Amino acid sequence: MDATDPIIEMRNARVTYDDGETFVLDDVSMAVERNEVVGVVGESGSGKSMFASAMLDAIPDPGRLSGEILYHKDDGTTIDVLELSPEELRKFRWEEVAMVFQGAMSSFNPTMKVGGHFEETLKAHDADVIEGMARAEELLADLYLDPERVLDSYPHELSGGMQQRALIALSLVLEPNVLVMDEPTAALDLLMQRSILMLLQELQEKYDLTMVFITHDLPLVAALADRMAVMYAFDLIEVAPRDQLIGDSGHPYTRALLNSTPNLDAPLEEMRAIEGQSPAPINVPSGCSYAPRCPLATEECREVDPEFYETGVGHSTACHHWERARETIDLNFEAVEDDAVGADTEDHA
Amino acid sequence: MKHTETDSTGVDWRSENASAPDMSTSERLREVYEERIRTPMVVAWADWRTRFGFIILGFYLLMALVAVLGLWREPSTSQAPRYLMLFENMNYPLGTTASGVDLAALIIHSTPSILLMITAGAVWATGIAVGIGTLAGYKGGRVDRMLMSFSDLVMAIPGLPLVIILAVTLNPENPILLGVIINISYWAGLGRSLRSQVLTIRENDYVEASRTMGVSTPKIIAKDIIPNLMPYVTVNFVFAARYVMFASVGLYFLGVLPYSTQNWGVTLNFAYSGGALFSWSAAHWLLAPMVAIMGLSLGLILLGQGMDRVFNPRVRTRMAGESKSTASDDEDAGVTEVL
Amino acid sequence: MVNYYVRRTARVFVTIYLVASLTFGLVRLLPGGPFTLLRAQLLRQGVPADEVDARIANLQNIRPDAPLWRQYIDYMGALFQGNLGESISLGEPVVSVLASAAPWTIFVVLVSTILVFVVGIFLGSLQAYWEGSRFDQLVTGVSISLMSVPFYVVAVIALYIFAYQFGWLPTAGTVANGVERELGVPFVVSALKHSVLPILSYTLGAAGGQALAMRGNSIQVLGNDYVQVARLRGLSDRRIATRYVARNAILPMYTGFLLLLGFRLGGTVILEQIFSYTGLGYYMISALNANDYPLMMGTFLVITVALVLGVYVADLTYSKIDPRISAGESDEAY
Repeated sequence: MDATDPIIEMRNARVTYDDGETFVLDDVSMAVERNEVVGVVGESGSGKSMFASAMLDAIPDPGRLSGEILYHKDDGTTIDVLELSPEELRKFRWEEVAMVFQGAMSSFNPTMKVGGHFEETLKAHDADVIEGMARAEELLADLYLDPERVLDSYPHELSGGMQQRALIALSLVLEPNVLVMDEPTAALDLLMQRSILMLLQELQEKYDLTMVFITHDLPLVAALADRMAVMYAFDLIEVAPRDQLIGDSGHPYTRALLNSTPNLDAPLEEMRAIEGQSPAPINVPSGCSYAPRCPLATEECREVDPEFYETGVGHSTACHHWERARETIDLNFEAVEDDAVGADTEDHA
Repeated sequence: MKHTETDSTGVDWRSENASAPDMSTSERLREVYEERIRTPMVVAWADWRTRFGFIILGFYLLMALVAVLGLWREPSTSQAPRYLMLFENMNYPLGTTASGVDLAALIIHSTPSILLMITAGAVWATGIAVGIGTLAGYKGGRVDRMLMSFSDLVMAIPGLPLVIILAVTLNPENPILLGVIINISYWAGLGRSLRSQVLTIRENDYVEASRTMGVSTPKIIAKDIIPNLMPYVTVNFVFAARYVMFASVGLYFLGVLPYSTQNWGVTLNFAYSGGALFSWSAAHWLLAPMVAIMGLSLGLILLGQGMDRVFNPRVRTRMAGESKSTASDDEDAGVTEVL
Repeated sequence: MVNYYVRRTARVFVTIYLVASLTFGLVRLLPGGPFTLLRAQLLRQGVPADEVDARIANLQNIRPDAPLWRQYIDYMGALFQGNLGESISLGEPVVSVLASAAPWTIFVVLVSTILVFVVGIFLGSLQAYWEGSRFDQLVTGVSISLMSVPFYVVAVIALYIFAYQFGWLPTAGTVANGVERELGVPFVVSALKHSVLPILSYTLGAAGGQALAMRGNSIQVLGNDYVQVARLRGLSDRRIATRYVARNAILPMYTGFLLLLGFRLGGTVILEQIFSYTGLGYYMISALNANDYPLMMGTFLVITVALVLGVYVADLTYSKIDPRISAGESDEAY
């Protein structure tokens, strides 16, 4: 893992609503390396969508984003996304960092042909439309779509999977370096999820993309990601290389998440739901936000919010008791985990 | 046999579960009241529109009560000096007409029949619309096609002319009958938009679940579908009522309807034909019924608007990204706006 | 596709046929039968009974002594040939009365309804754009107040102020008396002058309602993901406002437009009476007051046909405007 060439560095990013009283992103710092695939996992309401939007400074309206979002351009210069003028920001989005939302069905204008979306995007960025449309067709073909047919269709005439792939092509039409995806496969069936994942992997290799893939579905992103990050209650709690995170996570929440994931190989009785509820944005407890649900919580956890501990190579864990967590919380799939992930790693490397 | 046994316990289990055994009927009623009546009311009251609407309607109900209980004199000719102005004589606060009729009496004694009429018309229109809309939407297929062709046919007949012809034919004097006649075809547009809402609702998982559990169609319609339509229906109830008032007053004004009952439209007509438009000393004669009409319709509109706020999450919250409203089927938002 | 157009066209004829039958039935229900009054009158004047029957038959294309089914066939047959009978009060064929009246009504209804939508859409989208601003609140307040005033009250007040008090605009009629009834500048000017007040009073309140509807639609569209994505893609505000928000907010109002057109066509019976504007609605009421049943039914039928055709044209064009509705599918979603 080469930790010297980050493309996006998020520093102390915080999103507040209602005059700073409600946090939906709480002092998050993270660096995304060039050409890596980062998987960000979190349950719904953990702030992971905010994390994604923050990278483009695209927080929905009443929300306020503060901190630093540094973007390192190909030419070596660095910009702070939050300092950009509106016009610069408009150019930055989609040309440097593009985003794919959950629910492609609602990401297209229902009364405009898919092709129109490509054209207007190219025009808005003063790109060469003919060249751009040729690229669009290539992208669509890369995604196993019939370019002519798709471009000439209205969104509702395409299936969910086709729309999602068209949306991915749309996000890449200006050749951005980074693609941020927020639950891009949530509305699709399992088979379609798999194939989209495969296509993303091919695209990533072909176009040297950096990808940030945000999902609630841990096993799904594990098949694709180089590095993974886990979010809980509006903050990151653990970041590690994929195999590390799955095989040797140090955070009780991550371990509980792994154990609660449906796994065909694990016997049903070993599957455990995580008890309790994740906190609402208003009343994040002081100390470790996971403490109320954590079996290992001590007085220390309730009082001191844990910083990141170095718990392995490139592995940081925000838990005071990471060692004890590794010892006492068994993973219910340990025996089989190696082949499962191993198989995926092979076609990846 | 074993089979029948499990069957019967199955039935027992279901009925018991459905009526939550530890809960008496009154408790359940109270819960329904809390959930379906009290809470929305509290929310509704918080909106100034609804509050104003309720206050205005309350005022009209009070007027109707005054009339019914006979607390104000009946209107009759030469009961007072002619052409009294507004507040000129506090015995006749709204003044008098060319023939010395107390205007306040005319306005007050028109109220009960008008309220009765608009309620009847609104109940008729929304009732038929809900019936036809849900049946067509839920059943689909041939039933749907037939019902929709029928409502298309009804929609193709221009409302007021039909009402006029029916009014001449049937000569309705009963306010309830009159309300129904005025809204005889009003339901068609509403039924159509309800149908398209039902089409969306019936695809929801919980309806599907009820269906797979073998719940009967009427029960699904009553328990799963109609409650979801209630917001829209309530709002349109108010608009249908307003339409009845506008149309009836208009028709009385034209002199098309029989004059057997008092109505603001009749007063308006007499004032208009009595030349009140041209003489300042008679302006109040025209003004009083106009204000009565506008007040009631303002109350109804405010109520409708406020209800729309309460029931309609897409208008209520616009915290983008927080909740994605799926209610996209508000097609005929403009339909309700008629006269 | 073709099938849909054929079916939709067939439905036009079926609807008109059914409404025509309805008028036939209603004539029979009218108080004392259709021509009792006239008949009594003629008999009193000493016209022989045979001749009275013949004249009445001529008036409504009905032979009163024939069996009902026979009368029905005669009636429908005459209608089919464009014969609506003869107006009792005006002594003219109903068709020629209506032919001269219909353009005025259609002109007023069409212009005012289009105005209603243009004004409503304009105001409503601005309100949505500045949601919560003082402008928004002001327009909402004004809209609600306007909606609570029936158009005939507006008409009476406007007539009083602009026609009687200031004398700026004519008080009655469709064109001034001295003006030649042929297309030319004086005619057009006079016609426009006469139509200002009817159109104005027929537009105000309804425009308020449409503004509120448009406001709601736009706010809903603004909350959609595709608007947010469009912003991220760097589209200009103008393109988002027109191509994304306005278009998607206006389309659902189209069906409302159709219904409104129908209601408003009917509403002319009141409007035209106030302004003595000799359109269809005016003749319907005067026919009613004169017990002129042929004219009354003829007016009713013509108003209906106008509405049916309007809805027909709009239905066919709707599928062209909104790509989501491919022709016919709206009818058979299930």
